Amino acid sequence: MTYPHSINAKNLHAGYGMQEIVKSISCSFTPGTFTGIIGPNGSGKTTLLKAFSRVIPSAGILELDGKAVSDYSPAELGMALGFVPQDEGRPFSYTVMQVVLMARYTRTSRFAALAPDDYSRCHRAVAETGVAHLADRSIQTLSGGEWQRVLIARALAQDTNVLLLDEPTSHLDLSHQSDILSLMRSLAGSGSTIIGVFHDLNLAALYCDRLIMIQHGQIVADGTPEQVLTPEKILQVYGADVITSCHPATGRPFLMPIKTTNGNGSSLKPLNVQVISGGGSGADLLHFLAGKGFSLSAGILATTDTDYLTAQALDISCIPVLPFSRIPADALEKLRGMLSHADCIILSAHPVGMGNLPVILALREVDPAQIIIHLPEGRDFSSYDFAQGAATAALNELCEAGALCTSCYEGILGLLKPEIPRTPPS
Amino acid sequence: MTRTIPLIISLTVAAILTIVLCTFTGPAGFGIPSAGPGAADIVGSIRLPRVLAAFFVGASLAIAGAAMQALFRNPMADPYILGTSSGGALGASLAIVLLGGFFVPIFAWIGAVAAILIVWSIAGRRGVISVETLLLTGIAVSFFFSAIVSFLIAIAGQNVHQIIFWLMGGFWNASPSDAILMACILIPAGLLLFFMGRDLNALSLGEETAAHLGIDSARVRWVVLGGSTLLVAGAVSIAGCIGFIGLVTPHIVRMLLGPDNRVVIPACILAGGILLVVSDTIARTFFSDLPVGIITAFIGAPFFIWLIHKRGVVT
Repeated sequence: MTYPHSINAKNLHAGYGMQEIVKSISCSFTPGTFTGIIGPNGSGKTTLLKAFSRVIPSAGILELDGKAVSDYSPAELGMALGFVPQDEGRPFSYTVMQVVLMARYTRTSRFAALAPDDYSRCHRAVAETGVAHLADRSIQTLSGGEWQRVLIARALAQDTNVLLLDEPTSHLDLSHQSDILSLMRSLAGSGSTIIGVFHDLNLAALYCDRLIMIQHGQIVADGTPEQVLTPEKILQVYGADVITSCHPATGRPFLMPIKTTNGNGSSLKPLNVQVISGGGSGADLLHFLAGKGFSLSAGILATTDTDYLTAQALDISCIPVLPFSRIPADALEKLRGMLSHADCIILSAHPVGMGNLPVILALREVDPAQIIIHLPEGRDFSSYDFAQGAATAALNELCEAGALCTSCYEGILGLLKPEIPRTPPS
Repeated sequence: MTRTIPLIISLTVAAILTIVLCTFTGPAGFGIPSAGPGAADIVGSIRLPRVLAAFFVGASLAIAGAAMQALFRNPMADPYILGTSSGGALGASLAIVLLGGFFVPIFAWIGAVAAILIVWSIAGRRGVISVETLLLTGIAVSFFFSAIVSFLIAIAGQNVHQIIFWLMGGFWNASPSDAILMACILIPAGLLLFFMGRDLNALSLGEETAAHLGIDSARVRWVVLGGSTLLVAGAVSIAGCIGFIGLVTPHIVRMLLGPDNRVVIPACILAGGILLVVSDTIARTFFSDLPVGIITAFIGAPFFIWLIHKRGVVT
């Protein structure tokens, strides 16, 4: 008999002693899903997970496969629900295999030896988490990441339909993170209920079907990663400014924190800096300059350009145009207006074709001393020229007229600070 | 793993040899004393019960120590950690001071068990008992009882010598009934702890871990504490407070055989028995029957330090 929900909680309260951490949480979990529980430090994520596994007493309704968790015997619970803790003390030097075999204790009479099946299940579990080669090592000699994978292997060897993971990747390196989370995905795919606590929101977004965001012991958002990970929610719950976008390779939501510090804390009016870029060449530069506290504007940029998305995300004013089309005259007019207001213009080397050549040509109308050209090490203008030499000629002309050239961001900063006059010369 | 069986067999052989050899060893040298009528009786009715009592007491202290170390997840725990020794000492001292030395074993036993009951009921007052609460309560109760024992020593007058010798522990009065009594506790309690070996393993990684692995932590703690208390109270009532055996034997065994309690418990029975029989034989043969607690620490501590240096690992 299968129940629609493997875990079903209604008005669940839990905490330590007098301190109530989880306050009236209601949620249920269907088999075959991988759910991430997210929220700031101290929001009650781990407490909720431990309330599910009954190691922290809770009040309210809590059912596992249609039966109240409180009605389970300890052994029944150990066969129905596995738990991976963040870390675990290692006071005695058991071997890795001895620790993983503990998963099979409840399935064996205390008067009998473990069966060959138990051993083969455990060998499979250590192979799945990549610790098979450590099977005979003392657990006291393992690194944090190796130990974490042993704990995951032990929970796998319990063969439970529900698996709770408390920050299962906190000690893991990049490749093991994806190995373990892919493994959890495939377990969910084969009908298990996987619930994990995560700090890394991008990782959670990438692997989880569903996210539950918790704040002060209560659910503030519950849904798909796209529904939960909105900049507004992140700002409200974590107090952090982020940009969200759809990751091009995975199609999953992707978050990036924005640095909002004013670089040097100067009380002077910030310099107006106009960035001319394209084809993604300026995205990083815009972040760098925004972090240093300059007043930025950007453009002209096609709306499909990464630079445009960056400008949008950082709230930088820019001149958008449609991609793959001629730049309209009014956009060029706006550009001239922006250039005349800028204290300094940074041209980030980018592919120039007939379509965007007018932007470069417009630079001939401003004082060359205001122009800084960012050209990456080892590249020359002609390698960006898709306008049959016209772009190279225009850029060389700018340099001869006094525009400065640098290959690194620090160079840009050096040129920006001392030499640019506060007001543009007439 | 492959060497577990040979080592257990070697330990068993060593235990039998130790019992036999030590029975035939005494101040008069090795062999059956030949001088005087009834000299053979010395071996049968005095030495053999004493050797067996020492073996069973050593075994009891060693497995109780192993169980406590697993239960408290602390390699420094010993069988007396919850106050059995100071409770026993209080009971024995009261019997010595108030009753002129009668009923010392019974009073010691009552004192040891009472100490655990007091600790348990104080620690359990607030519902869920954490291991840390139990440990701290045990230490507090121990100190309180020790203070009363010190007070009794201060006012004991001519009985001081008797109390102090009892505190250091020995087998001067070991009778056949002592050996039988101790065996009657050791066999069931030893089997109990052996069959709780897996639970102890899981519990030694943490109570939440054990619960997640399907183990009834609360019940295991009850049963293990109960069994250990009976063992230690029995040992204390027969032989006083013999130190060191209960702390160190589990370490030695784990160094040789690893920390799996299904192996540690039976190995501790053999190793603890051997260590205490040898120590007691040395005490009565070469040191005119000094309290054996002195010998266990005097020989055991340097041996333990040597082992730590040799192996580099304690647990």
